[in-house]
Amino acid sequence: MGKIEWAMWANEQALASGLILLTGGIVGVAGQFRGWQFAAYAIVAGVFVCLLEYPRSKRAKGTSVERTGQYCFTVCVKSFGPLTRNYYVRGSLHAAICVPGGFMLSTVLGCVCLGISSIIYFVAAIRGEHWEPILPRKEISREVQDTVKNPPQNPPPRPPPETRRKRVDDLEEAAYDNPIPVSE
Amino acid sequence: MVVSLRSWLANEGGKHFVLMLWLGANTWLFLKTFLLYFTGQQYHYLYKMLGLGLCISRASASVLNLNCSLVLLPMCRSLLTFVRGTHTVSSRETRRLLDKSKTFHVACGVSICIFSVVHVSAHLVNVVNFSGRYSEDFPALNLARYKGEDPKLIILTTISGLTGVLLVLILFLMFTSSSYCVRLSNYEIFWYTHNLFIVFYIILMVHMVGGALKYQTNIEAHPPGCLRANQSSTEQQGEELEQGEDEERRCGEEAHFLPHYPQTWLWVSGPLCLYCAERFYRYIRSSDPVTIVTVIRHPCDVIELRMLKKNFKARPGQCPTENKETFGIHLRVVGDWTERFTQLLLPEPRMDMEILPMVQQRRYPKLYIDGPFGSPSEEVFNYDVSVCVAGGIGVTPFACVLHALLDGWTGFRLQRLYFVWVCRELQSFYWFAELLCALHHKLWQENRPDYFNLKLYVSQTDNMQSMSEEKYRPLTSRLQVGRPRWKLLFDEIGKTNKHKRVGVFCCGPKGISRTLHKLCNSSRSSGTTFEFNKESFS
Repeated sequence: MGKIEWAMWANEQALASGLILLTGGIVGVAGQFRGWQFAAYAIVAGVFVCLLEYPRSKRAKGTSVERTGQYCFTVCVKSFGPLTRNYYVRGSLHAAICVPGGFMLSTVLGCVCLGISSIIYFVAAIRGEHWEPILPRKEISREVQDTVKNPPQNPPPRPPPETRRKRVDDLEEAAYDNPIPVSE
Repeated sequence: MVVSLRSWLANEGGKHFVLMLWLGANTWLFLKTFLLYFTGQQYHYLYKMLGLGLCISRASASVLNLNCSLVLLPMCRSLLTFVRGTHTVSSRETRRLLDKSKTFHVACGVSICIFSVVHVSAHLVNVVNFSGRYSEDFPALNLARYKGEDPKLIILTTISGLTGVLLVLILFLMFTSSSYCVRLSNYEIFWYTHNLFIVFYIILMVHMVGGALKYQTNIEAHPPGCLRANQSSTEQQGEELEQGEDEERRCGEEAHFLPHYPQTWLWVSGPLCLYCAERFYRYIRSSDPVTIVTVIRHPCDVIELRMLKKNFKARPGQCPTENKETFGIHLRVVGDWTERFTQLLLPEPRMDMEILPMVQQRRYPKLYIDGPFGSPSEEVFNYDVSVCVAGGIGVTPFACVLHALLDGWTGFRLQRLYFVWVCRELQSFYWFAELLCALHHKLWQENRPDYFNLKLYVSQTDNMQSMSEEKYRPLTSRLQVGRPRWKLLFDEIGKTNKHKRVGVFCCGPKGISRTLHKLCNSSRSSGTTFEFNKESFS
């Protein structure tokens, strides 16, 4: 199947699952159904998953498309270092987060979807992918070209002063050949 | 840029009309089903048990039926090609609507997702109510086996519940893999998950088989709300009731309930059969491998492939054909599939080649081609004046147009073609340099130099090279450095073609197509209407 980057798909799924978990949690708390404490947990877990998954990773090859306004999230997620870089950690984290969602009806769907995305993260981790932050390219500051290059240090080669002195009486003899030919 | 009503109507009117029709159909269906369950006498007892959740879930189900049937139709590409090509739809306006088939498919898909969320939420509430308001009076109406049964158990042990869970999971997979980002980077994920649609539809047709929701069959004999044998009229305690009235309000017989027959197959089976037939036809058509005639490597990572296929017929504007049988494609080598393909076609020269290399049998891979499919560029010939704007490799749809003109430019309605090609590097123009020069020379020979107006632009301003070959003089003399100034270009075209309809065809990056779209919608002092047509790759 070529070099597929599974992490990108897992990222989309995890973001969608976070939203589903959040919605299910809100419905559960609002309706005050049985086991609404699980729904309250689902709200917190959903928000956390959304924040973690919002910044897209940089692609190994090709152009990476950023999500709008993801730069601040990228900085936060990057600061956790290897915890967020490694996809094994992410997969296990999602697997652990999704479990309490299975105990309440309105959050079951979010739990299953997050479980699927954690499986795909494990697939990505086995294939050696990791999360890379998309950082803005530092503008290569083009140095202002000097309009005046280094001025010459040495005077141009000239014949000795005796020949150079203007001999008004004999103009014919005063002319000399340039030692270096002057090109047009 | 001021938007002019006439230009806007010409460009956007048809699309928005179809959008209004579709929204209207969805709204009407939703409201009709909602009111049926809200006020229908046969659902009276069910409504008392379940409440609004019943109405919302059934209404969203009918909208889902409509959209699941509509979503397949824009993807029957051979059928759409046929409709576009044979001019069965004679109006150009209506043919232009076919260009937006993919957008319509996406709109139906998004509405399926939204209404699935509504449907699932409403049914979750229903399941809780089935469990909590278990009815002793009408045991046939219940889905739960006993009062207070765990709703999760109800979901997992009924056909409707189980199929519903599977449907939502498949929809989740299909939806998350069809985002623009995933399609751009890993198209295979999108393609293979989207082909799970057949599993989705099969499960969908089975979804209602369990008969969870029932309606009452004997409304005349047992009017809903009538007094039953073991009930007394406790509702009106303050009033005196006549003995006769009390008798009338007694029920004739017990209420009988029957589940609905699954209706989804009525909606969905037609389009599904049509789409399956279409896929089968495409499979049969492409089962004959093509013969690769030539492979040419061009600068800037482009290879050209010339092929031969039996019974290949392409209309003008669909595929570049030299003579009637050989056709060619240009493809840019960007991802892993194209790289592997290039390696198979053009093996790397080995380092240990002798001075007289042995002639090796060139083993090309077996190649199967599906198509040709219709595209917006076919309409280039149906305008008096057309403008083709290409960005980089986006010039390939217009190569067909140029080939068709080279074959015979007199047979078309087209009187003038403006061809604008913007590339990043100068070397890219070599891809079609011969074709452009050949067309230019032919038109000059036949004394129609004004037919073809070529404008080439190189957008990268540093590292200037030049095309030194003498035979490419027509190109170098029409080459400009820097990005084109679209407004000035359109003003110029407008002034030369006053009060005409000019077709603008764009294939390139989003920036260019957005700018051109806005320009086409804006007002013109020259009275020219620019009709915008876009061709996209993915």
